[in-house]
Order: sequence, then C-alpha cells, then structure tokens
Amino acid sequence: MNNGPKPSRLSYLTSGIVKENPTLILMIGLCPTLATTVTARDGLGMALAASFVLVCSNVVVSAIRKIVPDSVRIPIFIIIISTFVTIIDYVMQAYQPDLYRVLGVFVPLIVVNCIILGRAEAFAYHHGIIDSFLDGLGKSIGFALVLFIMGTLREFFGSGTFFGKAVLPAAYRAQPMLFAIFPPGAFFLIGLLKALVNKTALGKRSQ
Amino acid sequence: MNSAKIFLAAFLVNNIILMRFIGLCPFFGVSTAVSTSIGMSAAVLFVMLLASWVSYVLYHALLLPLGLVFLRTAVFILVIAALVQFVEMFLKKYVKNLYSAMGIYLPLITTNCAILAVTFFNINYKFNLLQATLFALGTAAGFALAIILFAAIRERLEDAPISPAFKGYPIAFIGAALVSLAFMGFTALFGIS
Amino acid sequence: MDWALIIKSLVTLGGLGLILGVILLFSSIKLAVKIDEREAKIRAALPGANCGACGYPGCDGLAAAIVAGKASLNACPVGGPAVAKRIGEIMGQDVTALEPKVAVLICRGGKDEAPSRFQYRGAENCRQATLLLGGPKACIYGCVGFGHCVTVCPVGAIKMGENRLPEIDEKKCIGCGKCVAECPKGTLTLIPRSKLVYLACVSRDRGKAVKDVCAVGCIACGLCVKVCPVGALRMERNLPVMDFEKCTDCGICVHKCPTRSFIDRAPGRPKASINPRCNGCAECVKVCQFKAIEGEPGKQHRLNPEKCIGCGQCVLVCPVKAIDLIGALGHSLKTV
Repeated sequence: MNNGPKPSRLSYLTSGIVKENPTLILMIGLCPTLATTVTARDGLGMALAASFVLVCSNVVVSAIRKIVPDSVRIPIFIIIISTFVTIIDYVMQAYQPDLYRVLGVFVPLIVVNCIILGRAEAFAYHHGIIDSFLDGLGKSIGFALVLFIMGTLREFFGSGTFFGKAVLPAAYRAQPMLFAIFPPGAFFLIGLLKALVNKTALGKRSQ
Repeated sequence: MNSAKIFLAAFLVNNIILMRFIGLCPFFGVSTAVSTSIGMSAAVLFVMLLASWVSYVLYHALLLPLGLVFLRTAVFILVIAALVQFVEMFLKKYVKNLYSAMGIYLPLITTNCAILAVTFFNINYKFNLLQATLFALGTAAGFALAIILFAAIRERLEDAPISPAFKGYPIAFIGAALVSLAFMGFTALFGIS
Repeated sequence: MDWALIIKSLVTLGGLGLILGVILLFSSIKLAVKIDEREAKIRAALPGANCGACGYPGCDGLAAAIVAGKASLNACPVGGPAVAKRIGEIMGQDVTALEPKVAVLICRGGKDEAPSRFQYRGAENCRQATLLLGGPKACIYGCVGFGHCVTVCPVGAIKMGENRLPEIDEKKCIGCGKCVAECPKGTLTLIPRSKLVYLACVSRDRGKAVKDVCAVGCIACGLCVKVCPVGALRMERNLPVMDFEKCTDCGICVHKCPTRSFIDRAPGRPKASINPRCNGCAECVKVCQFKAIEGEPGKQHRLNPEKCIGCGQCVLVCPVKAIDLIGALGHSLKTV
C-alpha cells in the first residue's frame, strides 16, 4: 500500500467526514441512516451509539491485531463488536429508555453495521492504535453528520419541529408533509443528498 | 396471532426492506440484475430459515434457563456466521448446481442485517417455533419480492437518459422511494400487533 | 461482582464458540471437495475473461469440461494457440489451435450516411429501440447505434464513435462473439484475424431502395463480382458473399464498389514498382483495373502511384518478374 507520502495522522480523522464519508461516499451503513432518522434526536442518538461501538472496536481490534491469526479474524472481530454492542444496548435501556424504544431492533443491529466490521477489517487490523482511534472517530463524525442532516430535514418537513421544539407555524404542523416521515420519504431524501454529493464531485472533477 | 396474518404481514405489510429498512446494503448492491437478485433471494431464504430455527432453540433451551439473555447478540451473530460457512461447504459438496447459482452470495449474508433482525423479532414478538418459521418465510419472501422487483426496475434504468448527478445510486434510491410508496398501500390491511 | 454470572457467561459463550469451531473444522475436512489438480492448472492457464465463447459457463466450466474429457483442448478461441499449447502440456496431449477471430462491424451507415425515419425518444438501447418499428434508422437492416454492444463486451473493446457507429479495438477484442450474439440487427460478425477485406453492409434491398436510405449501402450492382480476379464473390439475395478460402485480400472490390461498401482492414497497402527488368510486354497493363501503368510497347513501363492500389495483379502476370510490391511492411500478397 505504498502510494505516495504516508497520510498524516490528522487526515485519518478528517477523511472520514467528507472525502470518505461512510454513508454518502462509501455507501455503507445505510439501514440505520434511513430507519432511525425520523427526528433529529433519534438520528443523533443512533449515531452516538454506533460511534461508541466503532471507536471502541477499532481500538481493541488494533490492540490485538498482532496476536489474532488471519483465518479466525472475522469471528474474533464479531465477538469484540458484539461485546460493545451489548454494552451500549443495556446502557441505553437504563439511561435513555425512550430513545431505546424508538430505535428498537436497530441497537443490536449495530453489530452487523457494515461500517464497523468494514473498518475493523480494512483499517484497524492493519494500523496502530492511535491511527485506528482517529479513523474510527473520523468515520463516526461523518456518519453522525449525515444522520443529523437526514434527521433534521425529515423532522423539519415531517412534523415542523427540531429536537421536539416547534419551528414551523401551527398551520403547517397541523398538516405536515408526512411523506418525509414515512419510508418513501427517507429513500427520496437520501437519493437527493447523494445526487447533491455527485453533482459536487462532478463539478470538482471538471475544474 | 393468526398464522396467515404473520406470513402476510412479514411479506407485504411490514416488508423488511421497503418498510423496515433492514437489509439495504445487499438490496442496493445485488439488485443490478434480476438473475443475481434471484440467487441472492434463494441464499437469504435458506439461511434465514436455518438461522431462525437454530437461534430459537439456543435462546429457549440455553440462554433463557441460564439467565444469560444479555448474551443473545453475540450468540446469534456467531451462530449465523458459523451457519453460513457450514452451508457454503455443504452446498459445494452435495448440491453443486445450487452452489454455483447462489454460492457466491453466501459470504455476503453474514453481514446481512435481515437475518439477525429476524432472529431478534422472533424473540421480541414472542413467537413459538411454528410462528417463527412462518415469520422467517414471510420475511424471506418479502425480501425476494422487493429485490427482484427493484432489479427489474434498475435494469431499465441502465439505459434511460438520466442526468449525470442522478446516475447510479440517487436514481436507484428515488426508484426505491416509489416502490416503497406503493407498498405503503398494504398498511391498510393489518400489521403485526 | 456476581462471579457466578460472569463464569456462566464465559463458559456458555466460550463453550458455544468451541463447539461451533469444532463443527466447522470437522465439516471443512469431511466436506472438502476434491479438485483434480490439473483442473486448477488449466484454469490458471485460461485467460479468465469468462466470456463463454467456448460454450461452457466461464473458464471454470471449461477447465472442468477439459479434465472430464468433454471439451477439446483448443476450445478457447480467446487464448489462442499459446493457451491451447499450455493446456496440451498439462493434459499431456497434442493440440492444434483454432484460428483466432476478431469482431467487425458490417455496416457503414452512421449518422452522416444513413438518416433516421423518425425522432426517437426512449431508452437508448439498441435492442429496445429495435422493438419499435425496427428502430429509428431509415435503413431497417442497419446498425442502430445506441451501443448495446459496448455494454456487453466483456473486455471493453468497443466504444461508440462520433458517427454513431461502434468502434472495435482490434487489440483488445478477444473474438468471443458476445457482441455478435447480442446485436439485434446482426451488424456485427466474427472474421478470421488474417482476413483483411470484408463487405460492410447487410441490406437485403437493392438499387434505389438502398440509395434512398443510405449513402454507402450495397445496391447489389454486382460490379464487385465482375472485377474480382479470383472469383471469390457471388451475389446472393442482393449481397455479395465472399468465399474466404478464395479471397486474396487484393482490395480491388474495395476501390471498384460505387457505394464504397467494402472495408479494408489492412493498416497499409503497398504500391507496385517496376524495375529495369521490364521488357515492355504490357501484360500488366491488361490486368490493371485502375490504369495505373502506362508506357509504350517494348519500352520500360511506368507506374502511376496515385492510381495504384497495391492489388498485386500485375506482379502475378509479369513474365520477367519486373514488378515488386513495396511499402506496407507485413502485408504479403497471397497467391492461390
């Protein structure tokens, strides 16, 4: 993997936010992005839970990478990730029960989130602890950003609120655009976001 | 709950991909051609049924009596990973045509959220073994329906004149939005209580 | 610290993992599929394009079929003689290779030469466009030009040209025939790589019917049949059919065709040159269809390079070997 100068430590962090944003560029981790973003709070809550698991698992995988044989690495990753998922599952049940109720089955589903297993396999297994930590953090921020944007937009159009507080007039909130809250709206919105990303990328390429 | 209702609800009303958003990565990845979608659906059906049974037995016979319910995430995903590997080896040896048809999709299924989700739903909805089987069948059928329909649409999108920014994923998402909208019509039927 | 719970979970999870691991280890041994090692070697020798030209499902399929004795050793047209030889070595048998083929477009009617009958608004795919009244082109036999062949080529050897006709990169083309099978009009075909001249038209109409719809379509005038020095052409259903065994790729038909419907693939053509051995017998003047040789009887004749097309007919008839073909390295004159 020797292509050009070694990327700086900071770039591991920043690349996950825009250039290699997991949801909009790498197109992984789509399920929670669409399912849990009915409101901004839910989206952010989900992102924080997934980030916790991503960062912790990246660090642990990186820490034990030298002693894990190649043939059994996937099951080992899965055990590590499911440990952290179980932790966050019970923590959320205890301290944020309404959030837990909303997110439902998607909390344990973090264990099969492509982002987490993908980064463990593609990055943490081959890099040091600090780098893996920064990479995990960067991807988490990128993921959280997308979830926050999606959640905000869907909540804004779908119920006229932001974090539960009304921001649009009552007349709108009486008959909001329900399309945004329901599944079709989620697909539609992420399609538009991806088109925006493509357009920006195309514009940059033509310069 | 009525058995037919469980199947139909899993199949149409609460369609796992279009209404629950579970299983999206393979949905968008494999649905570029109808032939690959059929192969993927077959693999999903196979693994989903087996995983439902094994996880059900393990949960009720082992975890529940021993008070180790919190281990279910780890146990289920381990079982699914091992099951998939076993099924791949078994098919390769004894059912060669099936292996060549859907074998390459089997490794992809380990991270397929749909399988793990079904195992969790079986517990949350407190199904018995028969109900769990119907639910798994219905979900797999719903997965197949969604992915094959969508593949047919995407095959036509290949040649359609679409503006460059929307080519690829964006127009696929918007297509999925329309199919999902159509499926929302089924919610008038019933849901799983 | 509930040690009992911790120990219970460790034992359960650990035990489960161990059991699963043992089951998998056991099955990986019991369910191991024995592959004939020759099959693996043959598979490695094959090009790996999985194009299906051999008639088997991919290179894996062909390797298995060769080892099972069902496929011939030289079944891979893409790998050609080199691969066939290697497979022969692996199987311990002798082998003769098939002649490699290349795909060519047998239609010259692009957007400049062949107009459309109607404005087409729809999916830009040749097969789909053909479903609508045979496609938007005025000539219903000709290439639709939406590039379905571009998408089906497994090695990306085709790209759409400016004139709305596909351009095939002969270096990349592996002669698998996928584009030939997929083209809805049949305007792609495989010819042996050594063949240089071919007819680029598939229109079954004649005369005015063709001229109205395409400037370069074959009007079935039959001139090519008359001028061919070896009689390799014969008219059949308004198209000249070329006998590849007889044809010497001289190129006379290419230049004589009034609608320029033939294509010459040769990268360069030589010119004739008359050396001082010439005795002025003028036999060459009789056979030259392009009036490229002039001179007085009995005197050294001169060649007009502007008119010479390098067909080589003069070389064949010269009794004193006074004519040579020069230039166009690599192009040799075939003699029947």
